[in-house]
Amino acid sequence: MHQSPVKVWRNQKRIRRLLGQEGAIVTWTMIHVPPQGFSSFAPYPIAVVALDNGETITAQVVDHNETTLRIGQRVVVVLRRVMEPSSDGVIPYGVKVKPL
Amino acid sequence: MNVYIAGVATTPFGELWDVSPRSLANDVVNRAIRDAGIEKNNIEALFVGNMLSGMLGRQEHLGAFFSDSLGMHVPAFKVEGACASGGLAAHMAILSVLSGQYTTVCVLGVEKMTDHKPEDVSAALAGAGSDEERMSGATFPALYALLARVHMHRFGTTQEQLASVAVKNHFHASMNPNAQFKNLLTVEKVLQSSMVADPLHLLDCSPISDGASAVIITSKPSHPIHAIQVLASSVATDTLDIARRSSLDELRATRIAAKKAYTQAGILPKDIQVLEVHDCFTIAEILAMEDLGIYEKGKAAKAIEEGKTRLDGDFDRVVNSSGGLKGCGHPVGATGVKQLVEIVEQLRRSAGKRQVPNARYGLTHNVGGSGATAVVHILCTNRQ
Repeated sequence: MHQSPVKVWRNQKRIRRLLGQEGAIVTWTMIHVPPQGFSSFAPYPIAVVALDNGETITAQVVDHNETTLRIGQRVVVVLRRVMEPSSDGVIPYGVKVKPL
Repeated sequence: MNVYIAGVATTPFGELWDVSPRSLANDVVNRAIRDAGIEKNNIEALFVGNMLSGMLGRQEHLGAFFSDSLGMHVPAFKVEGACASGGLAAHMAILSVLSGQYTTVCVLGVEKMTDHKPEDVSAALAGAGSDEERMSGATFPALYALLARVHMHRFGTTQEQLASVAVKNHFHASMNPNAQFKNLLTVEKVLQSSMVADPLHLLDCSPISDGASAVIITSKPSHPIHAIQVLASSVATDTLDIARRSSLDELRATRIAAKKAYTQAGILPKDIQVLEVHDCFTIAEILAMEDLGIYEKGKAAKAIEEGKTRLDGDFDRVVNSSGGLKGCGHPVGATGVKQLVEIVEQLRRSAGKRQVPNARYGLTHNVGGSGATAVVHILCTNRQ
């Protein structure tokens, strides 16, 4: 999928704001059929996370195991490569969440 | 309100590789016009419900595109609201007649999806969500899976109950000659199908489909007994992404649109005998039955599993007699219009094997994305 380098750059403000924020998983799912650009990660879980600062986000969960993939699990926002690089070579970094 | 659906038509839904969008549109619009007992030159405006023509077919400007290919050259509009495009187009058409500007207009819902690679279709459909959802790797099934898990956690809803929605809708589809799937399912088959996004299996998901449906909206029907009155047409919107919603055990837009619709129509949820609701995923029909006020929150899954909405035996009302999105197919822009076609057939008592006896009031419920748009219509027959 084409990623506009301008959008990737503009999104960095949001990334800086979210990094290090902590929160709890509200709901989650394990994706077995991924969209384009995510095949190398699959299967992977995503979650809706209620951050302690009042924001709620949708993000992939990394470094999880069977006991940490559950509603209520505390997580922290980390920086990760979020999808496979597009043909224009832009590596899209973004946020994921990691169980605490 | 003084607005009627005077004519209806739908194509079969499915993988229609040998038919173009133009041919689909010509077929349904001409049949709907004949069904209304009018001529093509009586149509004063055209409202096209479509989501993906630009992203998949590289064709925009659909109002002019279809008014030209239909040989009408009337004022024409594309209305887009993701999977609610068809319902939204009908809403705008109804408003245009209510305004007094037009007497008779046509609504065309059309989508051509199977010409394209599944991954391209999925990427295009993901356009209905938010950038944040796309960057998380979320798919459409995944968003509804997130909602399903909340419902299961809070109300004890089971995967078997989710599966029972698909089983019922395939049963109804088996009696619909226009349905994409006429095979019967069992709960076991649904649970054994491959996992798409936990807890949703492949057979919890509606398919990718081609198809078109059309309705003629008018304030002066030529055959009043044949025409079905529109009692309510309402729309509500909510946050584009599900993360920012205060509650994930409901689609708030459905609840608001339904409340407005019941007020407009002056009837209660219990008065409705036949409903076409937006079952893009099995959990979506459970949410719809609760948010439309048919069942209390947390009670719909059990009622569906017990066959209370299935057209055989001891039902309270019948839901998705067409087979729904799951069984009949889901050409996204056509779906909201097809729902109206099915309810009109039911209220005219011309639904054949799928006929719900003595239905007087019917409701359609069309959702865009993961619930950011909801459209509700209530129809009524004046036949005694």
